[in-house]
Amino acid sequence: MNFDLSEEQQLVSDSIERFVLNNYGLESRVAMVQQSPGFSLDHWKTMSELGWLGLPFSEDDGGFGGDQLDTMVLMEQFGKGLVLEPFLASIVLGGGVLKRVASESQRKAWLEVVIDGSKQLALAYAEPESGYEPHNVAVAGNKTNDGYTLTGTKCMVLHGKTADAFVVSFRTSGGVVDQSGISLALIPADRDGLTVQGFPTVDGLQSSELTFNQVSITADDLLGEIDNGFGALNEVINDGILAVAAEALGAMEILYKDTVAYTQAREQFDHPLSDFQVLQHRMVEMFMEYEQCKSLLFRATMEVAAGGDDAQRCVHALKHLIGKAAFFVGENAVQTHGGMGVTEELRVGHYFKRLLVIEAQFGNTDYHLDQFST
Amino acid sequence: MDIELSNDDLSFEAEVREFLAGNAYKDGEDPNKWRMDWFEKAREKGGWDVPKWPAKFGGPGWTPNQHYIWQKETARSSTPWDMPFGLSMLGPVLMAHGSEEQQDRFLPDIRARKVNWCQGYSEPGAGSDLASLKTKAVLSEDGSHYVVNGTKIWTTMAHIADWIFCLTRTSDAGIKQEGITFLLFPMKQEGIEVKPIITLGGSHSVNTVFFTDIKVPVANRVGAEGKGWTYAKGLLEHERTGIAGISNSIVALEGLKDKASSVKRGNGSLMDVSSFKAKVAALEIDLMAVEYTELRSLATASAGTAPGPESSILKLKGTDIQQRIQKLTMEAGGQFSAAWGGTNAGPDFARAGMGGYMGSRVYTIYGGASEVQKDIVTKKVLGIKSSKK
Ligand SMILES: Cc1cc2nc3c(=O)[nH]c(=O)nc-3n(C[C@H](O)[C@H](O)[C@H](O)COP(=O)(O)OP(=O)(O)OC[C@H]3O[C@@H](n4cnc5c(N)ncnc54)[C@H](O)[C@@H]3O)c2cc1C
Repeated sequence: MNFDLSEEQQLVSDSIERFVLNNYGLESRVAMVQQSPGFSLDHWKTMSELGWLGLPFSEDDGGFGGDQLDTMVLMEQFGKGLVLEPFLASIVLGGGVLKRVASESQRKAWLEVVIDGSKQLALAYAEPESGYEPHNVAVAGNKTNDGYTLTGTKCMVLHGKTADAFVVSFRTSGGVVDQSGISLALIPADRDGLTVQGFPTVDGLQSSELTFNQVSITADDLLGEIDNGFGALNEVINDGILAVAAEALGAMEILYKDTVAYTQAREQFDHPLSDFQVLQHRMVEMFMEYEQCKSLLFRATMEVAAGGDDAQRCVHALKHLIGKAAFFVGENAVQTHGGMGVTEELRVGHYFKRLLVIEAQFGNTDYHLDQFST
Repeated sequence: MDIELSNDDLSFEAEVREFLAGNAYKDGEDPNKWRMDWFEKAREKGGWDVPKWPAKFGGPGWTPNQHYIWQKETARSSTPWDMPFGLSMLGPVLMAHGSEEQQDRFLPDIRARKVNWCQGYSEPGAGSDLASLKTKAVLSEDGSHYVVNGTKIWTTMAHIADWIFCLTRTSDAGIKQEGITFLLFPMKQEGIEVKPIITLGGSHSVNTVFFTDIKVPVANRVGAEGKGWTYAKGLLEHERTGIAGISNSIVALEGLKDKASSVKRGNGSLMDVSSFKAKVAALEIDLMAVEYTELRSLATASAGTAPGPESSILKLKGTDIQQRIQKLTMEAGGQFSAAWGGTNAGPDFARAGMGGYMGSRVYTIYGGASEVQKDIVTKKVLGIKSSKK
């Protein structure tokens, strides 16, 4: 049994950690958030130059042949700085669908430019009434002579405003909640009838809403087989869950460590706060939540990477535990910092906000508990 | 034991409802004029503009049942915004410890909502350990005024306040609770700098306030020099009962149920999802209990005792409930709660749901953090004394 990173993974991890340390101080992050497009194009370029954007793609596709474990290593470090660049949206989600089901010509047209960062992808699957179910798809493809037209709305599309193309789920047969009958297409952002409305989320990231008004798609736009898109979509969402779980772990590490440091520096009643037992025990519990998340993250990521039978259950378990821990660690980090915890001046609040968004992404804590138990 | 409302209570309830309905805000009205008129009409009712003030100072002199009815009814009606600092915090201190001259000078303007006050207690080094405050007030040689220097932090509304009631240190001798003096002075004067602090919801309500050589006439000292701590402590107990916000939570819980019922899940709504429903029910049960904890405490208060340590229990439970309501509201909004403006996506109530939840984290920090409230209950209610000397 071996839980150590490979030499290569350790090198990548160290270099990302350095990058985050050098570029993602709170002030720099706030400045990036406030400027369009909400992240740094320079950092994005650096990430591609250092090869990070190619990490989870096969060598044939121009990548480095990494798997979910490599993405985990990267996302955990990203979580320590609350990195803003669209790695999750373009590489893990959009790219994740392409690498699974895209045709030869689609790969040629898109993967190289996605890996070099010059083009971005985004994944559009959620809808106003889909709740947290990825198979709940109401946007229907109406058959035309040479393809389909789409009408409807996709919501909470991460980094949609800067995306050059969208991976979109739509229904070609079956009822609204059937897993079969879901198809996928790659639709360029400038396609007629498609409107993208961008907006910020509380964590400083950029999301968007997509409105489709009689958008035509042809056979060339389809990704994979008609009616059979759910398998790939679900795998990619699982990858997304593993990625944000790793990011959350990094964020929680910052939160519990900052809290330990703060209580040792801040004095009240002629003692450092860290002398008070109720706070000591609370911090022990924060630490334990963090460790439990780390264990389950390893377990789920390895199981998914190995294609194990237990993969889906592990992913549900992980997303549940991460959400529960996010609330516990975040609320207590803020509470233990007192008034300072609720200001924009300290980073704890910023990390907590990111955890809140992660908790509600790809299905929240209760949703995955329910999925796990059925 | 009897909490039945008497016939008198019932007719009072009807009167309150009629007053609130008759004076509700109407679309298109000038909000400021409406606010001032509302208080004026409440005053004409016999002190309804200052429900908690004793009759001697113009209050209505209600029974506990009447207070309960008023709280319950106002929570579900449109009433004008109000600030607690003058009305519920400084007012009672002046009534108990201020000179007659100070009462005449300050209470009428507080009552008329003409002067806005802020509370200058906390300092960068004195939060939970408030008694360690350092803002210095030095009596001038001729004994006519104090000169104040120091820094306050977290001062809510300092940027719009006209006056501040401020705890200052006049002596370092003895234990730190001694040597604290309660002073009143205007905020709009040279030597006072107010710097905003932005909190996680992105809003500005709290500030850091710097005092440089502020002259405060001795006539603006409340009570005796060095006795400010005792006055302030009583005031904190008033503040805590207010913060519990139980009537508001009852209304907010109903709102939460409505919101969740409007969110589609499967063939039903989120209120049909058993895990969510169970959380709402557990919250409701806690709220049912704490409502009666408050009534019990009101009954004690009506027996003539000031709100005591039980106000800590109300604050602890009341704020926990408020936070859980915000959290479930955020949860009901789902991923749409993450949106920060600029979209119509998701249910209307969801937008900035996370902002509301983040905003609610302060409830367990201000007015004395929860951990400190528990220390108070430990000592004052359970009677546990630290054995260390
Ligand atoms: C939004 C907001 C508005 C406010 N408005 C005002 C105002 O108008 N006027 C004013 O004077 N003040 C105001 N305050 C200040 C507020 O009263 C203080 O923030 C509060 O008393 C806590 O102090 P602190 O922030 O310094 O935290 P600290 O005292 O540093 O406490 C940090 C953490 O340590 C815990 N802790 C401290 N001591 C102990 C102990 N002995 N045992 C266990 N745990 C302990 C605390 O409970 C807290 O969780 C406001 C604060 C906020 C956030």
